[in-house]
Amino acid sequence: MKSQHMLKYYISTILILLMIFSVKAQNNPDSDQDKSQDSTKFKQKYGLRLGVDVGKIVRTFIDDDYTGLEINADYRYSKNVYIAGELGTEEKTTSTEFLNSTSKGSYFKVGIDYNMYKNWLDMENMIYVGFRVGASTFSQTVNSYTIFNTNHEFPEATITESIDFNGLTAIWSELILGIKAEVFTNLFVGLNIQLKGRITETEPDNFENVYIPGFGRTYDSGSFGVGFGYSISYLIPLYKKEK
Amino acid sequence: MKKISTLLLLLLLTTASCEKDDICPESTPTTPKLILRFYDISNQDDTKNVTSIGVTSLDENGETFVLAGFNGVTTDSISLPLRIQTTAENFTRFTFYKDFALDDNGTPNDPSDDIFSGNPDVITFAYKREDIYVSRACGFKTIFSELIVTVESDGENWIINPLILNRTIENEISAHVKILH
Repeated sequence: MKSQHMLKYYISTILILLMIFSVKAQNNPDSDQDKSQDSTKFKQKYGLRLGVDVGKIVRTFIDDDYTGLEINADYRYSKNVYIAGELGTEEKTTSTEFLNSTSKGSYFKVGIDYNMYKNWLDMENMIYVGFRVGASTFSQTVNSYTIFNTNHEFPEATITESIDFNGLTAIWSELILGIKAEVFTNLFVGLNIQLKGRITETEPDNFENVYIPGFGRTYDSGSFGVGFGYSISYLIPLYKKEK
Repeated sequence: MKKISTLLLLLLLTTASCEKDDICPESTPTTPKLILRFYDISNQDDTKNVTSIGVTSLDENGETFVLAGFNGVTTDSISLPLRIQTTAENFTRFTFYKDFALDDNGTPNDPSDDIFSGNPDVITFAYKREDIYVSRACGFKTIFSELIVTVESDGENWIINPLILNRTIENEISAHVKILH
């Protein structure tokens, strides 16, 4: 568990550094371009950007308790506004000393991204805030549990008959903060953090939603959740428009 | 730019570090114990101490052991753990000794040759088990229902009559069984 956290740190740190550098590098236009700025009108690409969440793919390989895939897309609506969405599937086994359960299901999220970053010249990097509404349909299985008992004079009882909870749903909203940088022509890498709040959910009888695909793990303290995304996406340019 | 990337990094660190809050708090009511109160047979509204009570049971290997805290205390109220079995049949059998004394045969660390003295009564609690979800950290607890109490008759029982006050054991708030002696 610890090594996974470490790996998470490393991946995120590397990605952040990469993006800072790539954005910075493009922030220093050479003097030729500077001079030409007055006379040239820079056109920006508009189109559909398609991508995958690399973080989820990497985690699928390194974490035995996790399988996940997410594709994401955005469409540039205006200079700063993008219509964005994600579609994904996740399976996660959560285990504590007393309880082992698996959540499995798929989800989608739709919303907008707003680019707050003023690009130089014809560059199209983003530092953005986003808003999403997410919905998930999923199932949960209690694989096994050990009855919690503060008295240990008699042996512990572990129940291994699995209990299924099917047809569960959850709807939540999300606030996103992220960056996207064009590392090669039309190829973007991105990183984002999501802060989520559940709006509604089906509560299983005599159990709770421990992990909701798309939302992530839940917390006892409230209906909030967090998530990360590391994306690689490709822009299919449809037309160009002046800045 | 710099400010925002610092903010991003900070957010990442804080959210990644608060993932494991999964400890079951001790104050959470989990699997309850069975609470017994001893009453006077001649004045059934009054509690009456049992002098030097000892409680033994059998462990999973069939070895007799003395339950912690019950090796000769004088009290009118005791709480006992119940065995949780995954089989359909759920029961716990105790031996309640009145005027309990333990002779460890000079080997305090070896309970296998201990000799118990006093007046033993074998009492059996049979029940149904139901598992109730508590929280992600605590998992499930068990509550017990349809309690049945039987006392083996041995010719010199000190337990005259066990009365069930509450057939369902779901908390430790009040006594579940009243024992007249």
